[in-house]
Amino acid sequence: MAVDSSMSVLVVDDYKTMIRIIRNLLKQIGFEDVDEAADGSEALGKMREKRYGLVISDWNMEPMTGYELLKEVRGDEKLQKTPFIMVTAESKTENVIAAKKAGVNNYIVKPFNAQTLKSKIDAVFGD
Amino acid sequence: MPQTRRQTYDSILGHLRANGKNDPSLGDVVALARIASESMQQFIHNMDAAVNRELRGIADYIVTMKQEIGVFQANDIKDSRIPAAGQELDAVVQSTEQATNSIMECAEEILAADTSNPEAYQSLVNDKVMQIFEACSFQDLTGQRVSKVVETLQTIEKRVGRLIDAVNAKDIDGVLSMAEEQRKKRKEMLMLNGPQLEGGGIDQTSVDELFK
Repeated sequence: MAVDSSMSVLVVDDYKTMIRIIRNLLKQIGFEDVDEAADGSEALGKMREKRYGLVISDWNMEPMTGYELLKEVRGDEKLQKTPFIMVTAESKTENVIAAKKAGVNNYIVKPFNAQTLKSKIDAVFGD
Repeated sequence: MPQTRRQTYDSILGHLRANGKNDPSLGDVVALARIASESMQQFIHNMDAAVNRELRGIADYIVTMKQEIGVFQANDIKDSRIPAAGQELDAVVQSTEQATNSIMECAEEILAADTSNPEAYQSLVNDKVMQIFEACSFQDLTGQRVSKVVETLQTIEKRVGRLIDAVNAKDIDGVLSMAEEQRKKRKEMLMLNGPQLEGGGIDQTSVDELFK
């Protein structure tokens, strides 16, 4: 599956500056259609209204965390195949293993750079 | 030397045996009462001294505690130091956010700039780079603010440590409110560990290894 840069990407983070950073980085690597959500529940609502080709989510958010969002997405028949990358400051091995078990496609530890983001997106889409 | 109960009992028994009577007379009863009274007086005297010592110990402990609580300066910590540290941290968050936004605005303007006119483009880039340098000066101020907070924490740490030693404090369970307990459980359940200090978490290379 090749990366389709025209697909819609949903960025989920409760820190507006981080959303802005990811949005800019995505723009630099060719993604223009980028939506945002401030937590898991808002993201879930948006995902049920619009089809996203990729979700990039933070872990630590209120009221619904990125980890809970991931489990909701993987438990939902219509959404379960959506590629999901966790971008987070949660760098304990237990977090990475739990996210992997829950079905995350890739995991980026903050702080990160454009190259890391691009390489993980490429890896998710098999490029 | 104070008489034990056994010695008192033996004295009474010895007195009765010495008189060789099964039915004690009034004199015997008075003698017994005197022995019993003497032994009780001794007992009460001993008990008074012990209770006195205990009470004096408790009073000394209370005086020491009052002194230590005074040295702890709880009101200074609650009314002055913690609120000031909170304000400093708020200011750090605010100035960091402002600086980040300024830097990002400059970068976005450079990326979106029209490159068809090299002179105008170079002028804009120079201007925006200068603004980025200016925005980076926040680091000096935030560094100073964070140092003040660290100093406050060190002061509190020293005072709490002294109080713990003075009262030989032991932690007890069940002091968290229901809301605090729920937050703690949620953090544990959802693994909300937050950013780790160096060596506390794994880096991107180790994360990648787990995905191979």
